[in-house]
Amino acid sequence: MKIHNLTLSFIILLCGILLPRDFDHRDIPIHENGRIKPLDTFVRNQLLLIYGKRSIKPKALPEELNSKGLSAIDWFFDIALNPDEGDKYRVFNISNPEVVASLGLYWDPSHLYNRKEILSGLKNQIDYITTIQGKPGAELTQFDTHMLKVYSNVIQYQTLSYSLSCLLPLIQINHKTIAQSLSVNPGDKLSYYQLMRKANQLSPLMERLLNQDKDEWSESDYELQHIMGILNEIDQDKFARILKIIPPESGNQNEEWQSPWELMESRMIGPNQEKLLITLESFLKSRIDKDTVKSDSVLAEYENLLSHSFNGLSNLTNVKLETWTNQANLFYKSIAFYILAFLLLVISWMTKPKLLRRISFACLLSGLAFHFYGILLRIIIMQRPPVSTLYESILFVSLIGVICASLLEYNRKDGMGIFMGAIVGGVLHFVGLGYANDGDTLGMLVAVLNSNFWLATHVTTITIGYGTSLFAGVLGHVYLLQTIRTPFDKKYLKTVNANVYGATLFALFFTLFGTILGGIWADQSWGRFWGWDPKENGALLIVMWQIMMLHLRITGFVKPMGFALGMILNNIVVILAWFGVNLLGVGLHSYGFATGIAINISLFIAFELITGIGTYYWAKNRQKQLTAY
Amino acid sequence: MRIKDIINFLKQPKIFVFAIIWMMMLVVLGTLAQKDMGLYTAQNRYFSAWITWFWFVPMPGGRLTLVIILINLSFFFFKKSIWKIKKLGIVILHLGGILLLVGGGLTAMFSSEGNMVIEEGAQSNHVEDYHFMELAIINTSAVNFDEFTIFDQPLLKRNQVLAHANLNFEIEILNYLENCEPTKRTSPAGIQYKGMLKNFILNELKPEKEDNWNRPGMIYKISNSGTNADGMYGIFLGQSISQTVSVNDKDYTIILRRKRTYLPFSIELLDFKKILHPGTDIPKSYSSDINLIENGVVRKILIQMNEPLRHKGYTFFQSSFIEGPNSETTVLAVVKNYGRLFPYISSIIMCIGLLFHLSQKLPDLFRKSKEKIAV
Repeated sequence: MKIHNLTLSFIILLCGILLPRDFDHRDIPIHENGRIKPLDTFVRNQLLLIYGKRSIKPKALPEELNSKGLSAIDWFFDIALNPDEGDKYRVFNISNPEVVASLGLYWDPSHLYNRKEILSGLKNQIDYITTIQGKPGAELTQFDTHMLKVYSNVIQYQTLSYSLSCLLPLIQINHKTIAQSLSVNPGDKLSYYQLMRKANQLSPLMERLLNQDKDEWSESDYELQHIMGILNEIDQDKFARILKIIPPESGNQNEEWQSPWELMESRMIGPNQEKLLITLESFLKSRIDKDTVKSDSVLAEYENLLSHSFNGLSNLTNVKLETWTNQANLFYKSIAFYILAFLLLVISWMTKPKLLRRISFACLLSGLAFHFYGILLRIIIMQRPPVSTLYESILFVSLIGVICASLLEYNRKDGMGIFMGAIVGGVLHFVGLGYANDGDTLGMLVAVLNSNFWLATHVTTITIGYGTSLFAGVLGHVYLLQTIRTPFDKKYLKTVNANVYGATLFALFFTLFGTILGGIWADQSWGRFWGWDPKENGALLIVMWQIMMLHLRITGFVKPMGFALGMILNNIVVILAWFGVNLLGVGLHSYGFATGIAINISLFIAFELITGIGTYYWAKNRQKQLTAY
Repeated sequence: MRIKDIINFLKQPKIFVFAIIWMMMLVVLGTLAQKDMGLYTAQNRYFSAWITWFWFVPMPGGRLTLVIILINLSFFFFKKSIWKIKKLGIVILHLGGILLLVGGGLTAMFSSEGNMVIEEGAQSNHVEDYHFMELAIINTSAVNFDEFTIFDQPLLKRNQVLAHANLNFEIEILNYLENCEPTKRTSPAGIQYKGMLKNFILNELKPEKEDNWNRPGMIYKISNSGTNADGMYGIFLGQSISQTVSVNDKDYTIILRRKRTYLPFSIELLDFKKILHPGTDIPKSYSSDINLIENGVVRKILIQMNEPLRHKGYTFFQSSFIEGPNSETTVLAVVKNYGRLFPYISSIIMCIGLLFHLSQKLPDLFRKSKEKIAV
């Protein structure tokens, strides 16, 4: 029954990519940070930057809307289609009371403010901002950094709002003469770009206007002057060049894409680019008119243009897949299942052990399925192996941990694997979510990392090594806890001890070869196998610690309990090698540096030391008591 | 019987346990020390040293510890109990470990590394050392050749007198500075100062964290030339105008430069390319289009990240670059390493050994437990 459920949910998931989905406005490809991504990802990250979340909660929306929330893409199209009405969203998140006060704003418990409030507050601070902008980062106070962030956020907001204004039908043509010469109907609305395309049709009228005295101006001349005024106004928006959605005419993948405003200014618009802009223009118009039939057909044309011109530059399948991944939130689903599995397991200790344990295991496996699928999608989208950044390593290590735990559970069928899997998967997922909030988690890689072969071999192996090592460490905890719980059940403890030992051997396999493969990669790209770089030393320490534990066991220096404690302490070595070396700030591997990580690492070390050594002595005492009786 | 006792002592796994604990200490200390003293110094002090001094207490350095581990590991094979099919995996694994350590030893003893710096359109046939300097005295008097006299780094120290049959004068090193900076004189120089020292003095600086960021310099005295070339001179690495002296119709140019090793071939840089991920500052790839010129035969080759050129035992890696106003300069790391195949072979051997061992052990260790937990 549970297997069926699982298969069913997996099939539903697979349908997400297998069933072809129509191209929609979320999928419009955009080029940012060296990568082609769906507009959906782009606006989610923009919103994250300004607001701190990837979609808008009701608190930040105008009350009269009475809605349950707004997605990032809908928010974006609303402010881009109505640039002047962007004040209704309270999306500026300022949590620093000093900044709030100095912007002359009242203190809002939800920390949310709108554009108008920020802009009027910033007016008095412009001088101060200009002075702190010139300062080096180290000299800035916390207040300064917050202030600069508010300032850059509001600029970003404006840039987003006006990024499409050259394509919006903002200029109404009323007079018959002008409408005729532009070959449109009176009352029609044109966009800046449309008018620019027809500029030469207006030139006879313009000439007359310039050669005439103002007293002799006719009605049409006044309207023409008015139109020129509006054009000039819209022209002020050309700073808004963030939306790089038009591919280079050449289709060269090493060339940068351009935003509509950049193209307007360069006036070097290729025929395919022009077609794309016109299609975009009519899409925007159909959205304003709320004409869904028209907008669908226009988008289909947009997709067609993109995939058949520009040398097939944008891989729309992957772009669509990414949009789907964005809204699927697979990692939230997996964490939910891990937590559920844990709760069910705890309940199973009190009642209905057999049934609840099975359901709990099914939950763990469902979580694993979502987790695995999420990682698989990232591999497909980026077309590179699973681990290339710190964030991805966290996701992958927790996957390995849960897989190991599931295998253990499959073998033992006593809930131990579920317990471990839920803890490893849940905790690491939380850590990972923290990293995901830094922005786009799918970044490009520097040249030396840009090698799928080595990412696939060395990085994957060493990350599996981290995962299996942590798994062995958690098993160590379990062994000590079980010794405290059931010190008399020698037979049972022996099996757990064998598991700890086996997990250690298994972990050593991956840490050892991960490290050696790393050396071989270094030999291939820098010419030395070993350079005593901090990250290399970190990996070496894990290997040496594990080898040491195995030999301590052989020589009889440690007994099963000591071995378990040793593997718990190995967790500390793993965490230090994994995150800690980035704190040193030296060496070739200092990627993914994150401030504030030091506190978390110290907390983890303290936790492992206290629980590890504490349970070790407790367990020892229990055994002593047992032999005393 | 005494030999047996020695063998019995040396094959104890206890030795390994203590050695590896000590090695871990060294790795931790050496890694932390990099933050303050830089990689090169930390490496020399902790990892490649035979003896590491803690204040005044001599302790085994990384190299000695690894040698102890290697000896202990070799005597592992004298154990009779290991020669069973059941232990085959373990035996293979330890054999791989020995090979890895031997390879490391070979690399530590015999490998050499340096840089080759070539501007676009130019050629080079020598490798510059990362750390060592040399003093080159070039006799440029002959019409169709130059005569080079080179004094190596070990000779470049205070109070050393340098003389050679090629030279009709002597050089006495008055001071050798690890790191220095030329600064303009504020008061007029005495008549004993010649060349650059007439207008500049060399200020000694604290050595940089990384050895190759230093700019070494030297104050020296030319004597016994019998001409007015006698006097005190200064020189430093990367001096833009070289010191020249004339002694009895012979012209000499004196240069302090990174130690050079000449190769039996030369490399010409045709083009250096740097490609960024479009719209970002993140480099996507670096590559150098080069001509390998050997005995007049030219071969065109592309060197790029992760794809080095291997030729005659030397390996050339794309390491860095210098962007100039008109042309780019590539920096290739050049390595000659006799031990480089050892890690490849030993990792395969260890992999086989560990897999064999795991395949025997794991099923036992994760056997399905039929027993129920006693609650």
